[in-house]
Amino acid sequence: MARTKTIKVDYLARVEGEGALYIRYDDGGVHDVKLKIFEPPRFFEGFLRGRDYLEAPDITARICGICPVAYQMSSLHAIEDALGLAPTPELRALRRLIYCGEWIESHSLHIYMLHAPDFLGYESAVAMAKDHPQIVQDGLAIKKAGNALVSLLGGREIHPINVRVGGFYRVPVRAELEPLRQQLLRARDLAVEGVRWAASLSFPKFERAAADQYEFVALSHPNEYPMNEGRIVSTRGLDIPVQAYDAHFREEHIEYSNALHSTLVERGAYFVGPMARYNLNYDSLSPLVQETAEDVGFPPFCANPFKSIVVRSLEVLYAFDEALRIIDNYQQPQQAYLETKPRESHGCAATEAPRGLLYHSYGIDDKGKITDARIVAPTSQNQKTIEDDLRHMLPQYLHLPEDRLQAQCEQAIRNYDPCISCSTHFLQLHLEHAGGNSGGNDG
Amino acid sequence: MTRDTVKGWAIISLGNRFRGDDSVGPYLLHRLRDRLGGIAEYIENSGDMTRLLDDWKARPVVLVDAMVVSGTAPGEIIRLDGLDETLPAGLSITSSHGFTLAETLELARLLDSLPLTLRIFAICGKDFSTSATMTPAVEAAAAQVEQEILEFLKVQAGGP
Repeated sequence: MARTKTIKVDYLARVEGEGALYIRYDDGGVHDVKLKIFEPPRFFEGFLRGRDYLEAPDITARICGICPVAYQMSSLHAIEDALGLAPTPELRALRRLIYCGEWIESHSLHIYMLHAPDFLGYESAVAMAKDHPQIVQDGLAIKKAGNALVSLLGGREIHPINVRVGGFYRVPVRAELEPLRQQLLRARDLAVEGVRWAASLSFPKFERAAADQYEFVALSHPNEYPMNEGRIVSTRGLDIPVQAYDAHFREEHIEYSNALHSTLVERGAYFVGPMARYNLNYDSLSPLVQETAEDVGFPPFCANPFKSIVVRSLEVLYAFDEALRIIDNYQQPQQAYLETKPRESHGCAATEAPRGLLYHSYGIDDKGKITDARIVAPTSQNQKTIEDDLRHMLPQYLHLPEDRLQAQCEQAIRNYDPCISCSTHFLQLHLEHAGGNSGGNDG
Repeated sequence: MTRDTVKGWAIISLGNRFRGDDSVGPYLLHRLRDRLGGIAEYIENSGDMTRLLDDWKARPVVLVDAMVVSGTAPGEIIRLDGLDETLPAGLSITSSHGFTLAETLELARLLDSLPLTLRIFAICGKDFSTSATMTPAVEAAAAQVEQEILEFLKVQAGGP
């Protein structure tokens, strides 16, 4: 009889938030995989109910210290959808510009400080910096340029306060963008080198069998690489407006996790994030990004999640390229924001957070009070796929010593840059009726 | 991160304003800004420790933070010289991606980004949950730390 073994990681390192991993396996296969997310639920959806609709972007920005812009963008687009408001092209461009800053910040933190040590054989970025200080310094310089972009448009580097429903509280004049342009140009050069470096790493071989191929899901836009808007598409033919999200995606509570698991109705697990965006939108990347990918021999479609570090580095390069394009074409908006008037309505939106699709929906009453809020973060959407990866990957690596096997599992989780803090914001409401019936509602 | 003026001294808070006792750092920063005005730069950091490398590089720094240490009571104050003393693991609990303050200092050493001096005032907390209010003992300790920092900076400036 095969001896059963377990891999237990009580506290996952180099991920945002608190999570753990449990795997039970033997020579016959993997019997149980649980990515346990035990960071306490953060009740943001409940917190939003009864608040003014104009507060939603600032409140939701507090869900995550790494991707506050994503929360602001999804919330304000959802509320504008409810109000029937469309931002002017100039305001739309500025929103895209601040999103570029956040992609740069978030991706560079993950690439250089969190994921790189896995590939170079170090337990942490600090240990890696002893032997490779230049890699860390370059990564921090790239990140700093993203910080500067978010700081200029958001009013500060973290939890930006300048973004509002209808536009911005204040928009920059052209002269303010010029010094930033110089910094972005220098950092873009570093980003090109970053792609070359990432592509030169040695990657674990991992491809899923034909029957278990990923379903990549991302926004897609006819004219640009997706950030703020688009239809939701997938590699298996899904092509829906964001308003149809609830008809196609489902969330369920899993006993061992504080984060809800998302699935595609009647299809199951799916994969959001940089690899999904890249695979579904390669043609929309800028010529520089496509040329750089070709130079390093990176294909337009990639299904090995360990190579996500290359995709992230390509997206960093894209974000610099796109930010420079927006700055070069900048037309200062005539109005910093469009006036809004509340009405009883419901709206939803999805944008592309650094880690993937971020869906928000809100109900608003005629006084502008939020009556209902729902937020689906990328990590809860990827949680099932992460577990499936471990299930599929492990049999190929059972020959490894246990410590290396565990490290490989942790690296596989970090492929997704999970943000556990983001994924545990749900509200679980238990209702107990006088007659003794009880039920639950995961909001 | 909020910046007011660029001067020699930087006062940096770690912590999240919306997480109970973790808000003591930003709370103190706000009070010190009111008391001290433009003599220092005030920097609020809610978790991205890599930003400290730029924010504190080659300058004198006072850092205020909440911490969790088993066996300590809420409101207990820990004072440390960040460059000379060993930092407890419970510092900077809201740090993203598992970077502790001690690791950030080590990284700063390696990348030549250390502060000139680093005076740390940490207050032990109890409740760090989202939307909780600050524990009364922590709030009382914050008032004491505020006075200590004012006196510390006065001495550093050559005052009585």
